[in-house]
Amino acid sequence: MTWTDFAGLVPVLILLGGAILILMAGAYRPHYRLFILAGISIALTACGVAVFSTSAVKEVSGIFRCGPYADFFMALWSLLGALTLGISFRYGEERKFAPGEYVALVLFSCVGMSFLSMASSLVGFFLGLEMISLNFYILTVFHRQSPEAPEAGMKYLLLGAVATGFLAFGIALIFAATGTLKLPEAMSGMVAGGQIVPLGLLAIAMFLVGVGFKLSLFPFHFWTPDVYQGAPAPVTGLLASGSKGAVWAAMVPLGAGLAGGLAEIVPLLKALALLTLATGVLCALVQDNIKRLLAFSSVSHMGYVLIAFLSGGLTGERAVIFYLVTYSIVVLGSFGVLACLSTPLGEPRALSDFKGLAYRSPFLAAALTIFLFSLAGIPLTAGFIGKFHIFYSAVRAGHTWMAIAGVIASLISMGYYLRLVFLVFQPRTDSPSPLAVCQPPGNIAVAFCSVLTLVIGIFPAPLLKFVAAILSP
Amino acid sequence: MNVPFSHLLIIAFLLFLMGLASILVRRNVIRVLIGVEIMLNAAGLVLVGSSALWNKVDGQLFAVFLMAIEAAEVALALALVIYLRRRKGTLNINAFNEMRG
Repeated sequence: MTWTDFAGLVPVLILLGGAILILMAGAYRPHYRLFILAGISIALTACGVAVFSTSAVKEVSGIFRCGPYADFFMALWSLLGALTLGISFRYGEERKFAPGEYVALVLFSCVGMSFLSMASSLVGFFLGLEMISLNFYILTVFHRQSPEAPEAGMKYLLLGAVATGFLAFGIALIFAATGTLKLPEAMSGMVAGGQIVPLGLLAIAMFLVGVGFKLSLFPFHFWTPDVYQGAPAPVTGLLASGSKGAVWAAMVPLGAGLAGGLAEIVPLLKALALLTLATGVLCALVQDNIKRLLAFSSVSHMGYVLIAFLSGGLTGERAVIFYLVTYSIVVLGSFGVLACLSTPLGEPRALSDFKGLAYRSPFLAAALTIFLFSLAGIPLTAGFIGKFHIFYSAVRAGHTWMAIAGVIASLISMGYYLRLVFLVFQPRTDSPSPLAVCQPPGNIAVAFCSVLTLVIGIFPAPLLKFVAAILSP
Repeated sequence: MNVPFSHLLIIAFLLFLMGLASILVRRNVIRVLIGVEIMLNAAGLVLVGSSALWNKVDGQLFAVFLMAIEAAEVALALALVIYLRRRKGTLNINAFNEMRG
C-alpha cells in the first residue's frame, strides 16, 4: 500500500479520522450540539471530497475498488450520514445521547457502508458488512431507557451474528471451491464447463442466507419490524437506507456472474423476490404502528430492487442504483419526519397519532405526503421514476410477469400509504395530538430530502445519465 | 498435504452444524453467542485449509481478519449482554418477545 493508494480512500479517511477525533473529544468535553454540527461538517466535507476526487489508482490493496462508482457511493453515504445527524439534533438532545459516541458511531457506519460499496474482494465485502453491523448493534440500543430497545437490540444482535456465521462460512466455501476471493472471479469461478463446481451451490446458498438477512429478503425478514420499532428513529432511517443500499451497491457488480453460469439459482431468486414483495405488502396492510408499517414497506421495496437486480444488464443495474439513491433519500426523510414529531415522551406510534397533522405542522405534513407518494410510486416523485425503470428493466429482460407482479404489489401498497395521507389531512376533533412541532435543523434535513425527492421525480434525466456513466466507465 | 481436504471439510461442517444446533436449542443469550463463535471458527478452519489446498495466502489473510472481527463482535455482544441483563433481569431469549404485529 503506497501514498497514491491512500489518495483513493481520502473521503473514507476523512470520515474515519473525524469520527476518531470526535470519539476522543467526547471523553473530555461532551457538547451535544457542537458535536452534531462537527459530525455534519465532517460528513459533508467527505461528501465534497468524494464528488471532486479523481483517483489515480484503480484498486487499493486488492480489496477496495476506486473510481467513479466508489466515489459516487462514498459521497452518497457521507451525505446520508450528515442528514442522519441533522435529524438527530433535537431527538438525541432530548434523550441525552452521549454525543461523542453517537456521532462517532454514525460516521463509523458510513465508513462501513463506503467500504462495502467499494469492495472488490470478498474480504472487503465481509469487513464492510461487519463494520456496518457492529455499529448498528450499538446504535439500535443507543436510547437505553427506551422500553423497546432491549428486545430490538437482542434480536438484531443474535440474528445478525447468526447471519454473519452463515456469510463467513459461505465465503470460506467460495474460497474452497474457487481458490480466489476477488469478486467477479470468485463468482464466475463457481461455474466450470457449464456446471456449478462441487461445493458451489452450498457456498452460494450460505452466502445468500447471510446477504438475505442483511437485506431482509423473504424468509430472513422477520427481524425487520422489531428492530425498526425498537431503534431510535434517526438510526432506523440510516439502517433502512444506508446499510441496505450499501449491500446492494456491493451486489451489483456480482450480477454479471449471475447471468453467466449461475442461471440455475435465478428461478429461486425470482421466487424470493415475489415472496418478499408479497410478504412486505400484505403485512404492511395490517400494521397499526408507523415504524412497523415502514419496516414491512422496506421489505417490499427490497423485493422491487431484487426484480431489477435479476433483470441484469446495464438497464437493470441502472434501475437498481437509481432506486437505491431515491429510496435512501425518501426513507431517511420519512424517518426524519418521525424524529421531528417525537417528544421526550416517545415517538409517534399508532397511525391515528397522525390525524390532523396538516393543521398543526403543515410543513412536516407536506414532507410526509411527498415521501409517502414517492414510496407508493405516484408520478412527479422520485419513487415513480425508480419503479418505472425497475419494471422497464424487467420487461426488457423478458420477465414480464415479474413486472406485472410488481405493479400489482405497488397498487396494493397504495392502500396503506394513502390511508396515512388521508389521516394526515383529516381534522382532529377528539383528543389533543401527542406529536411535537419540529425546530431546525431536523427541519432542514427533512426539507432537503423532500425537495430532492421532487427534483429527481421531475427531472430524472441527469441522475439517470450519471448512474449509467458510473456503471460503464 | 497429508490430511485430505475432504476430511477437513467434514470436520468444518460438523463444527458449523454444532454451532447452529447450539443456537437453535439453547435459550441463554451467552450460549447462543458461543454457538455463533463455533460457526465462525468452522469458517476459519475451511479458510486455512483451502489456503493450503490452493497454495494461496488469501485464505489465511481472511482468517486473520475473521479473528479480529470475532473479537470485536464478542466484546460488543458481551457489553450488550450486560445491558440486557440489567434491563430485564434475565438472559433467557424467550423473555424478549413483547413486540407483536
